[in-house]
Amino acid sequence: MNRRNFLSWGTAGMAALCSAVGVSFGAVVRFLVPSVFYGPPQSFKIGNPGDFPYGPPTFLADEKIFVFRDRERGFAVASAVCTHLGCTVAYFQDDREFHCPCHGSVFSPTGAVLHGPAPQSLNWFEVTLTRDGQLRVDKDKVVPPTYRLMV
Amino acid sequence: MKWIREIWQSIVRRDPLSTDKGKSELVFLNVWLHIHPAKVKRENLRFKYSFYLGFITFFLFLILLTTGIALMCYYRPYPPAAYQDMKDLQFAVFMGSFLRNMHRWAAHAMVVCVFLHMCRVFYTGSYKKPRQFNWVVGVMLLLLTLGLSFTGYLLPWDQLAYWAITVGTNIGSYAPLVGGKLRELLLGGHTVGEAALLRFYVLHVAVLPSLVILFTIVHFWRVRKDGGLSRPIWKLKPQKTEALVTIGAPAAVAPLQVTAASKDKTYGLMEVVTGKPIFETVTPEEEEDTVFSYPYAFVREAVALMATVTTIMAISLFFKAPLEEMANPAVTPNPAKAPWYFLGLQELVSHSALLGGVVVPALMVIALIAIPYIDRNPSRRPRDRKWAIWLFTFFVVANILLIIVGTFFRGPGWAWVPPWVHVVARPE
Ligand code: HEM
Ligand code: FES
Repeated sequence: MNRRNFLSWGTAGMAALCSAVGVSFGAVVRFLVPSVFYGPPQSFKIGNPGDFPYGPPTFLADEKIFVFRDRERGFAVASAVCTHLGCTVAYFQDDREFHCPCHGSVFSPTGAVLHGPAPQSLNWFEVTLTRDGQLRVDKDKVVPPTYRLMV
Repeated sequence: MKWIREIWQSIVRRDPLSTDKGKSELVFLNVWLHIHPAKVKRENLRFKYSFYLGFITFFLFLILLTTGIALMCYYRPYPPAAYQDMKDLQFAVFMGSFLRNMHRWAAHAMVVCVFLHMCRVFYTGSYKKPRQFNWVVGVMLLLLTLGLSFTGYLLPWDQLAYWAITVGTNIGSYAPLVGGKLRELLLGGHTVGEAALLRFYVLHVAVLPSLVILFTIVHFWRVRKDGGLSRPIWKLKPQKTEALVTIGAPAAVAPLQVTAASKDKTYGLMEVVTGKPIFETVTPEEEEDTVFSYPYAFVREAVALMATVTTIMAISLFFKAPLEEMANPAVTPNPAKAPWYFLGLQELVSHSALLGGVVVPALMVIALIAIPYIDRNPSRRPRDRKWAIWLFTFFVVANILLIIVGTFFRGPGWAWVPPWVHVVARPE
């Protein structure tokens, strides 16, 4: 084998080796990304409009949402997940604010940050009426805090 | 009786321990002991030099391995079984609560000791040439220790665990570009749930311990190959550091001294090369100052081992590892605190998540790793390295202060509270 052959075969061999390593590494990373998520679904029904009282919001613990119902303005759904590091916020009816227990973020009635380290306001989710007359919340659809569903 | 002796000698194969040859053979014919040299510098055995902190850290790790394997016999890594198993360990399994306590307190102690060990190494200037790389290996071990603590924290699946990990992993997601994806990879999902518990379990019982073992092997090997522990400051010779040359480099200085071979000494074929080695060597005068590892070093190490085990056992008899209610994603305890060694970070995070959660810790790790390469001052004497000592002390004090603030001065809503509220109004 002459020098030139050696070099070209060597280069090709190294390239093949590197790509094999690269592909294997990619495969390992892909392996670690779950193909199926068993977490709670992002879009779900929460019941009939009549189930929800007027006044203070209803907190749905499993979904981590607050369901607001207002006589004039209808339904709105706010996320209870603090935008700082994901703790569950509590709602206080007297000052109508959301308070996060972890690092003290406080959110206004519209979810805007009043105080604390949270970088952005709380999310509001789209809520619609299904054909069988139930409320459906879709956490993948973030809406402005003015969004309302009239029933 | 002769055959018993023959069997015994087939195992140990060394001369009696009353002879010098026997003493050194005990060390270098034994695969476990031969990480030690046959003789060590007498001054290095002094407690006041190393405080045996590296050994204590290692012994704590051994306690964690043994108690951890015991706990694995009763632990199922999925909710809600994980929490039920904790309750069983606490109340139903014979000695379960004791073993769990030992595992928990040894883990805390290991974090403390690895940190103190690092401080000892820094203040004695032992990261300097030729030990730079072993410092880096050490930093890896420090990070792995923290990783083990963090992954172990989730396993009881109680409120404390759930929220500490929720907050902790969300900190990571502030890293630009890759943060969110990395978090998803670690959790195996969008939130802390079944998949996350299983992944943390795999990391905690398989991946990280294996890495710690691998790095520890390298760490110990390097201590040995760097010429044993660094000389105590009070034994430093007047400036001779430049004299170190790489093996294989042409010998610029005088050829190796040849001493007449004595009849009752034998020589193995190790390290017969020209040029001076990279590691610290011992001069004939200094050789006077060495003692046999057996029994001097071994006895001291055995004492350190027994002291470590007894202390952890004593603590575990009197103090219970905490276990709160079962994890409940809907209710965040107020305040939700990370494990204590991350409370300094959480304090920073409460001011700015990006700065406190990503930028500052990343810079700290990079700075730690780089220390031996930035600090090129060859002297190990404290009076020659005032700057280095001030800077490092600032780093240590800042970390401790932040942890104290996060632990004792922060109450519900992360509001500032006087420290005694934790004593007066302790939730039980
Ligand atoms: C799992 C963690 C660790 C274990 C089990 C460990 C163990 C040890 C042991 C047994 C020694 C011998 C002497 C002594 O007791 O001091 C040693 C020396 C040393 N360690 Fe560690 N260590 C760990 C982490 C670290 C860390 C975090 C650093 C620094 C960042 C570090 C840097 C060093 C250096 C440079 C030496 C040589 C010191 C000298 O020559 O005086 N180690 N280690
Ligand atoms: S998680 Fe809400 S303030 Fe930090």
